Amino acid sequence: MTLLFLPEMMLSFLSVALLCLTLLKNQKSEKFLSNFMLLSGLLLMAGCLLSLNLTGSLFSNTYRVDLFSQGFKTITALAFLLTVLLAAEWNQIPKNRLVEFYLFLTTGALGMMMMASAVDVLSLFVAIELSAYSLYLLAALKVGSRNAESSVKYLIFGATTSGVALWGLSLVVGLTGSTSIAEILASPAALSGQPAFVIGLALFSLSLLFKLSGFPLQFWAPDVYESASTPAVSFIATASKAAAVTVLIRLFFISGMPAAFSMALGVLAFISMTLGNTAALLQTDVKRLLAYSSIAQAGYILVGLLSGSANGMSTAFFYAFAYVLMNSAAFLVLTLVAKSAGHDNPQISHFDGLAERSPFLALMLLLSLLSLAGIPPLIGFTGKWILFSSAMEKGHWFLVLWAVLNSVVSLFYYLTIVKHAYITKPKDTSPLEVPIRLRVAAIGLCAALVLMGIFPGYFISFAEHAVALGLIR
Amino acid sequence: MTFPILSSILLCPVIGLILVLFMPPKQENAIRVISLLSAAASLVLSLWLCFHFNSSNPAFQFVEHVEWVKSYGINYAMGVDGLNISMILLTAIVIFCGVLVSWTVTYRVKDFFANLLFLVAGVFGVFMTTNLFFFFLFYEIAVIPMYLLIVVWGSTDKEYAAMKLTLYLLLGSALMFAGFLYMYSLPGGHTFDLVALKQNVLFTPEQQNILFLGLFLGFGVLAACFPFHVWSPAGHVAAPTAASMLHAGVLMKLGAYGILRVAVFLLPEGARHWADLIAVLALCNIVYGAFVATQQKDLKYIIGYSSVSHMGIVLLGIATMTPTGFNGAIFQMFSHGIMTALFFACVGPIYDQCHTRMLGDLGGLAKKAPIISTFFIIAGLCGLGLPGMGSFVAELLVTIAAVSAYPLIGVISIIALLITAYYVLSAVQKVFYGPLSPAGEHLHDIGAFQFVPRAVLVGCLLFFGIFPGIFIEWISVYTKTLLGG
Repeated sequence: MTLLFLPEMMLSFLSVALLCLTLLKNQKSEKFLSNFMLLSGLLLMAGCLLSLNLTGSLFSNTYRVDLFSQGFKTITALAFLLTVLLAAEWNQIPKNRLVEFYLFLTTGALGMMMMASAVDVLSLFVAIELSAYSLYLLAALKVGSRNAESSVKYLIFGATTSGVALWGLSLVVGLTGSTSIAEILASPAALSGQPAFVIGLALFSLSLLFKLSGFPLQFWAPDVYESASTPAVSFIATASKAAAVTVLIRLFFISGMPAAFSMALGVLAFISMTLGNTAALLQTDVKRLLAYSSIAQAGYILVGLLSGSANGMSTAFFYAFAYVLMNSAAFLVLTLVAKSAGHDNPQISHFDGLAERSPFLALMLLLSLLSLAGIPPLIGFTGKWILFSSAMEKGHWFLVLWAVLNSVVSLFYYLTIVKHAYITKPKDTSPLEVPIRLRVAAIGLCAALVLMGIFPGYFISFAEHAVALGLIR
Repeated sequence: MTFPILSSILLCPVIGLILVLFMPPKQENAIRVISLLSAAASLVLSLWLCFHFNSSNPAFQFVEHVEWVKSYGINYAMGVDGLNISMILLTAIVIFCGVLVSWTVTYRVKDFFANLLFLVAGVFGVFMTTNLFFFFLFYEIAVIPMYLLIVVWGSTDKEYAAMKLTLYLLLGSALMFAGFLYMYSLPGGHTFDLVALKQNVLFTPEQQNILFLGLFLGFGVLAACFPFHVWSPAGHVAAPTAASMLHAGVLMKLGAYGILRVAVFLLPEGARHWADLIAVLALCNIVYGAFVATQQKDLKYIIGYSSVSHMGIVLLGIATMTPTGFNGAIFQMFSHGIMTALFFACVGPIYDQCHTRMLGDLGGLAKKAPIISTFFIIAGLCGLGLPGMGSFVAELLVTIAAVSAYPLIGVISIIALLITAYYVLSAVQKVFYGPLSPAGEHLHDIGAFQFVPRAVLVGCLLFFGIFPGIFIEWISVYTKTLLGG
C-alpha cells in the first residue's frame, strides 16, 4: 500500500515540510533550499521509477495505480526535477517567497500525479483543483502589475472553467447514478447517446482544454507565459500539459468518442493549430512565442486523441512525453539566456550570437526547436509521425494534411530564433557559462531528444502497453 | 548475415561527424582530414559496391532488414538496385570532391564540416533505404544542414534564400508525408515498407491518381519542377561552393529519385494518368530555364537556371514512361550531378578571389587561370551535350523516347538545347576570353591539390561519356521491370 502511493507520499511529506519552513521566521538560505529541493526531486524521480511497474487500487477503488498512471507520474517527476534545477538558476520572485514557490510547485506536482491515478469523478476533480490552484499561485508569485493582471485573469478564467466542469460532471453523475468512472462506463449504452450525457462530458473536457491551452480556452497562455517567472512557466508548459493529456486519454476511453464529439474536437484542433502558428509568427518575446507554439502543439495532440483508438491514445501518450522533453530543453536554454541578459522576458534579439557565446546551448536550442517543429531525427518528428499515422488510419486525412502544413509554417518562427542564434552578431560577446548541474541535465535532454527520435521502439511499445493497461473497461 | 555494406557507407560520414564534433575547433586541419577520410572511405566502399553489384538481378541486393517499430511497420531496411547504385556512387564522388574543394573554408571550420557530413549522411540514407519512414527521416536530415550551410557560410541574399529553400522543401515534404501516411492507412497497408506496400495494397485507380499527384508535387518541389523551381536558383547562388555542389549535384536528384522510387514504383497507373502533365511541366522547365539563363548576369544564376533546364530533361524522361526514357533520365541525373558539381567547383575560386560573379565585371580569366577555365569549359561543353560527355548520351536517350511519346514536346526540347549552347558559350566567352578585367587581376590558378577534385569530376564525365554501356547495364534491368514489363 505505501509503495503504491510512494510518489504521492513523498510529495505530501515534502509539502508539509515546506509548509513548516514557511512558518520559520529567520531568513532561509537560498542555497540550502535549492539543494534540498534538488535532492527531493531526485528522490521523487527514484520513487516514481521504483513504483513504475506496480499495479493496484486504493481508497475503495477510487484510485488506480497502473503502468499508465505511473508512466505519467514519472514524466511529472522529471518536469518537477527540471523545474527545480531551473529555479535554482534564475527565478524572478522575491527572496522571501522562495519557500512558497517550492511549496506550490510541490502541491501542483502532487495534484498532477493524482490526476493520473484518479478513477473516481470526485477524486479526479479534487486532483485537478489541487494542481490548478497551485499553478494560479505559482504564476502570481512574481511581483509586478503586468503579472498581477495576468494571474488574476488566469485565476478567474480557470475557476470559471472549473465551475463549468463541475456542472458537467454533475450531469454525468446524475444520469448514471455513480461517481466511479468504471461504473459510469458500465451504464447502459443508450445513455452515451443522451444529449445531457454528451454535454456533461463536453463541459468537463473544456476544463482539460483549458489546461492544455487548446482553443477556445487558450487565451490565458500568452499572458501567463509572458508574465510569470520562467521556471514556473516551464512547469506549467510541461507537466501541466502532460497531466491534461492523461485525463483526456482516460476520458475519451470512457466516452468512446461519439461522432459529434469527434467532429467538434476536430474543429477545435484545426483552429488551435492555425491560431497558434499564425499568432506565433508575429511574436518577438520568446516566452509569448512559445505560448502560441504550445497552443499549436495542443492542436496536434488533439488530432491524435480524436482517433479514439488505443493506438491513437498511445501515440498521444508518447507525444506528451516528447513534448515535455523538448519544451523543457527549450526552457532550459531560455532560462540561461534570460539570466545572462538579466531580463525575465528574453526577446528574440537576446538570442543573437548564442552560437558564439555558447556553442552547446545553441545546439540545444536548435535541437529543441527543430524537435518542436517535427524535424527528424528528433523525438518530435517520431512523435508526430506516429500521432498522424494513427489519425490517418481513422480517416482524418484533412486534419493530418493541415497539421503537416502547419508544421511547415511553424518552422518559420522556430528557424527565425535559430537564425538569430547562429548568424546575428551578439551585442554582448561574453561567453555564456552553463553551470555543471544544468549541463548534466542539458546533455541528458539533448541525448534523449536525439536517441528517442532514432530508437523510439522501446518507448512506443511502452506507451502501447501502458494505454492497454490503463484501459478501464 | 552478410557484411552490411550499405550501412557502412552511411556510417562513414556519421562517424566522421561524431569525430569532428569532439574535436577542438582550433584543430582545423585535423577536422579537414577527418572529413576527407570519411568521405574517401564512403567513396571506396561505394566503388566496391559498384563492382559487386549484380546488374542482371532486378530485386534489391545487399538487403539489410532490422525491425524498428513493429506496430507501425517501420523497419530499418536498406537495399540497392539499378536505380540507386548510380545515385550512391554520385553522392560519394560529389562529397569526396566537395570536401577537397572546401579545404579553403576558414570561417567556423568545425561547424562547416559537421554540417556537410550530416547533410551527406542524410542523402546517402535517402538513396539507400526502402522504408518510407526512414526515407522521410533522411530526406529532412538532408534539408536542415543545407539551411545552416547557406545562412552561415553563404553569400548574396543568403538569409532570404536559405529560408525560401527550407520552406519550399519542407512544403514539398509535407505533401510527401501526407501521401505516405495515406498509403499506410489503406487496407492491406499498415506498413511503411516499400516492397510490402507494393505487394499488399491494391490501389484503386482514383487512389493511384490522387496519391501520385500529391507525391509528384511533393517530390517535384525538390526536383525543381516548374513552377516550384524558384527556390533552387536562389539557393544555388547563396550557398557556399561545396554546398552548391551538393545541392545541385545531389540534393535536387533526391526529388527525381523519389518520383521513380516511390511514386512510379507504387503507383504506375497514376503515373501513366499524369504523364501528359509531367511532360508539359518538363517542357516548361527545359525551355523556361534555358531562356531565363540567357538573361542572367550572375555566373551562379546561369548555372542555377541551367540546372532547372537540365532537370526538365530528367522529368521528360520520366514522363515518357518507357525504359529508354527512364534510362535517359537516370543517366541525366548522374551526369548532371557531376557536371554541376564541376561548374560550382570552378566558380568557387573565381568568386573567392575576384569577389564578383557578374559577367560584366569578369573577362579574360583564361589568361590568369588556364586550369580553372579549362575545367569550366569542359563542364560547359558537357552542359550543351557534346558527344563524348555523359550528358550527350543521356539527352540522346531522353529525346529518342520523347520524340516517339510526345513528338511536339520532343522536338521543342531538342531546339531548346540550342539555347543552352548559346548561353553556355556566351558565358564562357565573356568570362574567360577577351581583355582581362580589373577584377581578374588578383586571380591565381588552382594548385595541384585543388586540381584533384575537379580532375576526378572531369574523369567521371568522360568515362561515362565514352563508356555509357557500363552505366546503362546497371540500370536497364531495373527500368525494364519498373513498369512490370
